[in-house]
Amino acid sequence: MTHVVGLPDNASAALFSLLSSEKKPQLVTVTREGEAFAVAAGLWVGGKNPVVLIQNTGLLESGDGLRGTVMRMRIPLVCLVTYRGYSTMAGAKLAPPREGLHSEILSRRDIDSVAVLTEPTLKAWGLSYDFLVENDDLAKISEAFKKAKESIQPTVLLIPRDLTAG
Amino acid sequence: MLTKDEFIIPLVRHRTQEIVVTSMGMVRPWAKHSDHLFDFACADSAMGHAADFALGIALARPERIVICINGDGSMLMNLGTLVTIAQSKAKNIVLFVMQNERYEITGNQPVPGAGSADYVLLARGAGIGRAYFFDDPQKFSASLPDLLDGDGPVIVAVRVEAGSERPLNRQKAEPARYLRPSLAESACALREALSDERI
Repeated sequence: MTHVVGLPDNASAALFSLLSSEKKPQLVTVTREGEAFAVAAGLWVGGKNPVVLIQNTGLLESGDGLRGTVMRMRIPLVCLVTYRGYSTMAGAKLAPPREGLHSEILSRRDIDSVAVLTEPTLKAWGLSYDFLVENDDLAKISEAFKKAKESIQPTVLLIPRDLTAG
Repeated sequence: MLTKDEFIIPLVRHRTQEIVVTSMGMVRPWAKHSDHLFDFACADSAMGHAADFALGIALARPERIVICINGDGSMLMNLGTLVTIAQSKAKNIVLFVMQNERYEITGNQPVPGAGSADYVLLARGAGIGRAYFFDDPQKFSASLPDLLDGDGPVIVAVRVEAGSERPLNRQKAEPARYLRPSLAESACALREALSDERI
């Protein structure tokens, strides 16, 4: 991994802080998540191996940037996506694949609608994904790199909790 | 105001081993004058993401100048990239904003801010010191060596005539050679070309 491209949120803030104090991997912060995918695509074409780090809200924002750059270019990119709203969604037993995405669910004030939409969106885009939850899951990072390389497509690692949480 | 040829021909003449990323209404006109291993068409991709894609290449390959020929409609879709470029301090990116004030490929509808948006001010406001505007072909041609020399980032707004470019498709019968491969094949080919130390 040579570069981390993305935008911080509360869950990833500590990681961004750490990255900003390190020379490698090089941190590139952008103004909007769609930009992150285009910058990452350019880095890859230039011979580097970037990773994108964004929140799931940004994943939804970046739809065409993701589709038209790293997916259309078939770039083996690992995307780390923090999963805002996961805990309240899980607490309400609203696993997105089992529930319809009708407006009653999407407008519930006790549910963050971005959480409900995250996995169905990844599936709709044909993006493979996995979860990073526990320390034991760290091996999934290298598996994600392998999967991205083998499939010549981006792959997503969802991070459903604060990266600094104990 | 410049014709597209008045912009392209001097640039092709001055260009040596720079990477050139084109978008929208400049993709085919550029290919009429250039057929270079380091030409890349941001076509059949995502509108508004040529400049940030070019920035990624520039950050990856600081030893090479990356030229992006962007449209004003595309630039407007992603103005935040000006700030990202400024923050990156990439010395090797030259971003041309072709100011025809039209969405040419969809039939020349006016872009927001046509006649009033000032891309030099936008660039300077984003923190890019080297920002220029040209609407005279002789002055543009005479300034090109300086524009491509020295530390960037450099933003150059150029007022150009609106044309009548058709939608961009990647297909084998396409006259523009760099539009014949798929976007994925083009991306892979440029990565390989750039990794070849003999070039």
